[in-house]
Amino acid sequence: MEIVTKNWEKINPLDINTYIRSGGYEALRKVIRETPLKVVSEIKRSGLRGRSGAGFPTGEKWEISAKIVADQKFIICNLDESEPGVYKDRIIAEKNPHQIIEGLLIGAYAIGAKRAFIYINGHYKKPAEILKIALEQAREKEFVGRGIMGSSIDVEIEIFSGAGAYICGEENALINSIEGKRGEPRLKPPHPPVSGLFGKPTIVNNAETLANVPYIIKRGADVYSKIGPSLSPGTKLFLLEGAVKNKGIFEVPLGTTAEDLIFNSLYGGGMEDGKEFWFAQIGGASGRLMPRGKLDQLLIYGPSEYPIGAGSILVVDKMADIKDLLFSWADFFHRESCGKCVPCREGTYRLWEIAKWLKNNDLKERDRENIEDILWTLSNTTFCPLGNFAAVAWSDAISMFSEEIFGK
Amino acid sequence: MSIQKILLEFEPKLENLLRVLKEINKQEKYISESDCLKVAGYFSLPLARVFSLASFFDLMNTRPVKKKIIRVCSGGPCTMKRSFEIIRQIEMLLKIEMGNDSHPKVKLETMSCLGLCDQGPVMMIDEQVFEKVRPETVDDIILDYL
Ligand SMILES: Cc1cc2nc3c(=O)[nH]c(=O)nc-3n(C[C@H](O)[C@H](O)[C@H](O)COP(=O)(O)O)c2cc1C
Ligand code: SF4
Ligand code: FES
Repeated sequence: MEIVTKNWEKINPLDINTYIRSGGYEALRKVIRETPLKVVSEIKRSGLRGRSGAGFPTGEKWEISAKIVADQKFIICNLDESEPGVYKDRIIAEKNPHQIIEGLLIGAYAIGAKRAFIYINGHYKKPAEILKIALEQAREKEFVGRGIMGSSIDVEIEIFSGAGAYICGEENALINSIEGKRGEPRLKPPHPPVSGLFGKPTIVNNAETLANVPYIIKRGADVYSKIGPSLSPGTKLFLLEGAVKNKGIFEVPLGTTAEDLIFNSLYGGGMEDGKEFWFAQIGGASGRLMPRGKLDQLLIYGPSEYPIGAGSILVVDKMADIKDLLFSWADFFHRESCGKCVPCREGTYRLWEIAKWLKNNDLKERDRENIEDILWTLSNTTFCPLGNFAAVAWSDAISMFSEEIFGK
Repeated sequence: MSIQKILLEFEPKLENLLRVLKEINKQEKYISESDCLKVAGYFSLPLARVFSLASFFDLMNTRPVKKKIIRVCSGGPCTMKRSFEIIRQIEMLLKIEMGNDSHPKVKLETMSCLGLCDQGPVMMIDEQVFEKVRPETVDDIILDYL
């Protein structure tokens, strides 16, 4: 089942005509003949949920901004992508940048934004260059800029490149950094759809979310909503890494099981030769650890024991060193904590120290006793979700593999 | 290029502040306090506001960088592809310790995932990115680039 990855082999990302020949920008043409609220309702009926992690219903979010009367509104494509193990938005931008641009234009029209941003990870130099060229070509064709496709609709799109901070993927921190402020989260509410960039209604959507929009408009909400489970429809890009045979990016309908994704020869193709499955981490460094017995869980957005996040699946085999992984997780969050609140700033630092001692077989009994307190503090008292994220994999590891970590 | 010239390329609007700082960092390799002062004047903002922004991000420096910085990705996928063996190998080769600042010319650090996991393990020396690095071949890369 291909929606986002469809036609990738036919499209030259540097030539807009190849995208147009495969049906590109037809959805935009269709949309500008409809009323914005009709477009919002189509996305709502499709059941599309945000692909950044939390799975927030996209149509519902658009509706909030669409219904507000304001002199200015904004829409931002979130391409900050910095969860370890996730690189799908980069690949979409490299393979088919116009799909993101078309989705962004449709979103802008639906909510009434005249100005849009693509906020891209500061390390993503090549995809940023590809997007820049794609935007120039789209402007020449009058899909972007003043009077889109001969209508009276204006939408300008700018690329804004980040400067290397995981927290700037969080929408409020992202907005702060465009406004030239430190990339720190803000107190919510108000949420960005009501009051975001420069205090104006602002929609922030993940790049993969937007890449689904042209398909929904072209084929209709009814077709889309029947793919996968009804509460979490559509396809999702998953990234298989670790000890799995076929690594890389795979598009499957939501509701596929982890077992299928890892072991089916169409996707992961099972374990690398000679390796035995131990557990899989679902959703990046902030993801839970799924043991063999849970592999039959459906990968969906919405209530689930194992949230899929942005779609990374790290397959870990029995030879892997759990202490290296514990360090990997702690190292990431300690580096990326923005430092605004004490429980996260201190908690991630302490966890990182402990991970270091653990790795050097130098952990004292007293530090071991502290681990649970630190994890509890991170899970319950931090200002934004990054602090909670930092405790997820560690908590699972401590409860599942205490013997492997601490010895008997 | 002088700071003045960089400033003239951007309108003094807030959404250009980070862009200006990144451009200065790119050309001068770091953003000094006197640069911050000029930027603050141009945007009519307090110095502290500009400096706190410049010091927040990984990709900008507020002090001159005197050492070569070797960074190895410690993300999960790179870890599964033996990035910690690469680190140990570099530690042995250069007789340094990760995170320790005692060597006069080089510093070895871990870094966050660059979203190049399919090309991992990933390493950087200053601005240069190296993909598919292996513990067996990392010595050659290091000796070539230092
Ligand atoms: C710590 C943190 C990091 C985040 N990083 C990203 C990111 O890199 N990319 C992204 O699209 N969303 C990220 N998000 C989610 C955004 O805040 C926002 O919810 C998202 O862009 C909405 O898009 P969607 O509704 O299309 O999923 C992050 C959230 C948190 C709390
Ligand atoms: S939880 Fe961490 S990232 Fe979030 S505000 Fe607090 S210090 Fe910053
Ligand atoms: S984990 Fe190293 S580049 Fe992603």
